[in-house]
Amino acid sequence: MKLKELPDEELFTRGHTACAGCGAATAVRNLMKILGKNTMVVNPACCLLIFGATYPYLAWKVPFHHVAFENTAACATGMTRALRVRGKEDTLVMGIAGDGGTADIGIQALSGAAERNEDMLYVMYDNEAYMNTGIQRSGSTPFGAWTTTTPVGKVKAGKADFKKDMPLIMMAHNVPYVATASVGNIQDFINKFEKAKKMKGFRYIQIFTPCPTGWRHDTAKTIEIAKLAVETGMWTLYECENGKVKINRKPKMTPISEYLKLQGRFRHMKEDDIKKLQDWVTRKWEADEKYAQCRQ
Amino acid sequence: MYEVRFHGRGGQGAVMAAQALASAAHAEGGYATAFPFFGAERRGAPVLAFTRIDEKRIYRKTQVYEPDFVVVLDEGLLESVNVVEGLKKGGVVLVNSTRKPEEIDVGIDTKLATVDATSVALEVLKQPATNSSILGALAKATGLVKIESIEMGIMQVFGDRLGPKIGEKNARAARVAFERTVVGESHGKRVLKTAEKWLPDVNNLPMGVAGVAMKTTAGAVGPGSFLENKTGSWKVFKPEYDEEKCTMCNFCWFYCPEGCIYRKDDRMEFDMDYCKGCGICANECPAEAINMVR
Repeated sequence: MKLKELPDEELFTRGHTACAGCGAATAVRNLMKILGKNTMVVNPACCLLIFGATYPYLAWKVPFHHVAFENTAACATGMTRALRVRGKEDTLVMGIAGDGGTADIGIQALSGAAERNEDMLYVMYDNEAYMNTGIQRSGSTPFGAWTTTTPVGKVKAGKADFKKDMPLIMMAHNVPYVATASVGNIQDFINKFEKAKKMKGFRYIQIFTPCPTGWRHDTAKTIEIAKLAVETGMWTLYECENGKVKINRKPKMTPISEYLKLQGRFRHMKEDDIKKLQDWVTRKWEADEKYAQCRQ
Repeated sequence: MYEVRFHGRGGQGAVMAAQALASAAHAEGGYATAFPFFGAERRGAPVLAFTRIDEKRIYRKTQVYEPDFVVVLDEGLLESVNVVEGLKKGGVVLVNSTRKPEEIDVGIDTKLATVDATSVALEVLKQPATNSSILGALAKATGLVKIESIEMGIMQVFGDRLGPKIGEKNARAARVAFERTVVGESHGKRVLKTAEKWLPDVNNLPMGVAGVAMKTTAGAVGPGSFLENKTGSWKVFKPEYDEEKCTMCNFCWFYCPEGCIYRKDDRMEFDMDYCKGCGICANECPAEAINMVR
């Protein structure tokens, strides 16, 4: 499908209460256009839950379930199985959660569902911290980033640990489809969701969605930052289809300082910290590339 | 006891203003409390903050339902929120506006003061953070606390959080706003809609709501009902679209987080009822057909 062929109908309506410039809102309304009406959504506590469904309002036009923080994948499993028992073979169940609900709190249910190869799609929108509760660090927060639980002080400044490589963890489960996407790369985004929609078995997609409020950047720069993350190598676009890994976009390897300077959460970073992060990014990209070569 | 209610938008700093006012009152030797009210909403959405000031210890912990003074940080809120709800007789309303007090209609006859806090903030702070300027105006309009105390309160609260330099600048903004405040009377003519309560209660809902969005006395519920929630009042800047330059690449249509850009045959249409003014469309347009304007 091309961008111009995407349907006009919104299954995630306007009027939702996301902050201006929210990357997650862009991701969700577009992925719903691709997945279509025959979808059920399972959603734990996260920003998306709050801005998409605040009583008495609901932005979703498809069946929507709010579940506990840690059991998105478990609930989606139950719903899929019930649908299959009732003979509905082609209804897609999508679990969608933020990075906290996926990489930290929801990982055991997710890992279980992946290991059993349940027939569902799991989407993680990665805004790199617990934004809903007021910007606390998560396993997905990058090195050096300010959050309210990794404050900038005299002794320590920002997060001291590196970002958890969640897609790699999911690939280790040997599921049919694992992919990384970004709100900045339109065609890549469409291709991946289209592919995921057609497949059977457990599918996992992680979308990179900048957050102006938590990352302290200009609301207009959301997409620019998402694109820069790909070009600097902070975020690699690849997919793993039935065990075969393919890099979708080779980054230009722009220096990460270009990416960092747009965001307030990195403003405090000193030269040697930036170098440390740059080394990590370079190594990560090399590792991703080698991994793709090994699993062609 | 004096009770103050601040009406602002998420991100405008109403909470810090309430704290600075409490700090100022405390510096004058009284007791004061300050706290915000958060809904489940986000940056740009209407928020409340409260300050209580008394000579005695304050035991009341509830939200302020019957304020003596109401402070409105964003004039646009007058359209969507009944800011004078519960205002005590003889109370004062302070509005951030370029207009004169007589020109502002809040629905009741009341003492009303205006100050163009946005311009003051742009002049002194170089950014539209109106929370400090409005405090200066509050001192002038109500005489609740002295402007000197306000300056001290701002230095304390803003300085602690954002550094002494920014604290000083904000104190200066308060002083400038203090001098520019216009106090007058306002006569309310327009009829304010009394909003239905935050209902429907779950017991009043008809069975099987999940099918379509349903109308109830309090508005729509069910799938797609967020359409009733017009988020257009959140914005400061709005997109200006040049049809001539547009190449119909559809990028803005995809990138818009609200989905308030519609595709027509040979042009795009921007729905200002929902646009939050983030500026992504203007930033990403390859043909530069979109500009953000005030």
